[in-house]
Amino acid sequence: MTPAATSAPARRGAAEILSSPLLLGLAGSACFVLVLELLPRLGVVDSRFFPPFSEMFAALVDELGKERFWTALVATLRGWGLGLLIAGGAAVVVGIVLGSSQLLRDLTTSTIEFLRPIPSVALIPLAVLLYGTGMEATLLLVVYASFWQMLVQVLYGVQDVDPVALDTARSYRFGLRRRITSVLWPTALPFVMTGLRLAAAVALVLEVTGELIIGTPGLGNVLAAAQSAGAVPTVYAIVLVTGVLGVGVNLLARAVERRALRWHPSVRREVAV
Amino acid sequence: MKRTRGVAATSVAVGLTLALAACGGDGGGTTQNAEGNDEVAVGVIPIVDVAPIYLGVQEGFFEDEGIELSLETGQGGAAIVPGVASGQFQFGFSNNTSLLIAEQQGVGIKVVAAGNSTTGEVGDDFGAVVVPEGSDIKDAADLAGKKVAVNTLNNIGSTTVNNVVREDGGDPTSIEYVELAFPDMPAAVAQGQVDAAWVVEPFLTITTSQGATPVAWNFAGTDPDLMIASYFTSAQLAEEDPDLVERFASAMNTSLEYADSNPDAVAEILTTYTELDAETAAQLTLPKWPTEVSADSFELLADLAVEDGALEEKPDIDAMLP
Repeated sequence: MTPAATSAPARRGAAEILSSPLLLGLAGSACFVLVLELLPRLGVVDSRFFPPFSEMFAALVDELGKERFWTALVATLRGWGLGLLIAGGAAVVVGIVLGSSQLLRDLTTSTIEFLRPIPSVALIPLAVLLYGTGMEATLLLVVYASFWQMLVQVLYGVQDVDPVALDTARSYRFGLRRRITSVLWPTALPFVMTGLRLAAAVALVLEVTGELIIGTPGLGNVLAAAQSAGAVPTVYAIVLVTGVLGVGVNLLARAVERRALRWHPSVRREVAV
Repeated sequence: MKRTRGVAATSVAVGLTLALAACGGDGGGTTQNAEGNDEVAVGVIPIVDVAPIYLGVQEGFFEDEGIELSLETGQGGAAIVPGVASGQFQFGFSNNTSLLIAEQQGVGIKVVAAGNSTTGEVGDDFGAVVVPEGSDIKDAADLAGKKVAVNTLNNIGSTTVNNVVREDGGDPTSIEYVELAFPDMPAAVAQGQVDAAWVVEPFLTITTSQGATPVAWNFAGTDPDLMIASYFTSAQLAEEDPDLVERFASAMNTSLEYADSNPDAVAEILTTYTELDAETAAQLTLPKWPTEVSADSFELLADLAVEDGALEEKPDIDAMLP
């Protein structure tokens, strides 16, 4: 029993590390970086077309020193934010209106189910015809893709409203606006937040896709320029940046969700019974 | 309940209108900026060939002519001709075979200035067919019966490659062309997915530095003065605003002369609008930038395109030229 007893504190230390999500996340990222470095170095992939991580990182540092990289980053974030804002605002309004009327819901369900699965990318020719290669063309894709993500969640949220609560509000002669703000909105909010988190990621994907394919200014456009210059490490450097952006977008969406829902039992874990 | 439904329907209408309005719209035609300069959009591919126009903007040659240029980089070259035809761009840059094809399809093309030309030197041009290390293809005639990558089928690449193969005594009809984007060609050549690839700079420098060997010089070998590409506008704009076209052409010619005599300035500006590093930019073989629009080159490219079936018949070339 003595050997086990002596190693117990050490084992507890290891267990603590293994249970820390932050440390585990960092360890996972380190492993990923190591694999990226080793695959080309060991000759598993051709390093001319898939350079080791250190070269991608050097290209990234080089990019960070260029003004056009930052201009592109701002353009990407602006397109993403604006698209999400338009899609979110429209989806909340349309969702509440459709959701509160059985007739409207029945009228629109088939159309929504037809429009929703159309891949945004398939609309690129239409976007280019309407708006050329400017920012609006990519914005159209971003809004289209994120709108449905949000709308479906808002619809679920509105349908989740407790009919008894709604009837109670009605019998207390709450006006339409009061019914929406005090009964409908609090019930729908967790769904809206889920929709926002899904839409935020989709919007980023479509923003970069639009820039890459249409040529709208932004990170995707820098990626295309790096590709047409044969600057392979820069191509991967920009890909890494888009990945980091994705992580950032997700963290931001979660933070907004936690803040907006701090009264909700799913967030208020400490007082859960 | 009835009242609620009415409100609901109105809200849908308002919501949709807002969403549509937010998407915005844009007008056509040329507008003027605060200083009274014409705002002109030019569709270009951000590659080596268009360095003169970037230099012209930097050096103020367009401003001198009362033109404020915005250079728009579209979805590769294919989007530029439709962009000019639809008025989204006032001018564009395209290779001459594409312009001939567009004209023959009735688009209405007016060439306004020379784009770029071959260096005319076999062995040192900006476009060539390269083969992987250790390939048994030694010259143009050996390309017969092989799989060759070009960026666009039935365009300037394949028609000029066919021409040099034919002149070298090979049978060009036996070549199997595959379409690949230029950036994908170095890997395709290195990994032997194709027997050969037609590349232009910077990929000619990149592939040769990775061990590939040029075997055919399709531009210089076709004609030592071959003009490859042009700046153009729509026949409609050329008719409506000849003054603007003339000023653009004048600024463009000044830019071409400047680029042709200042290779260092070209290498420097390449690092600003492309992602080329300074080292590679200095190694590239640059095209020639003469100012004269070569009617002979259009005739020759049209004959080659007709011979290969890329063009059904020769369009009226005189009507296209300035």
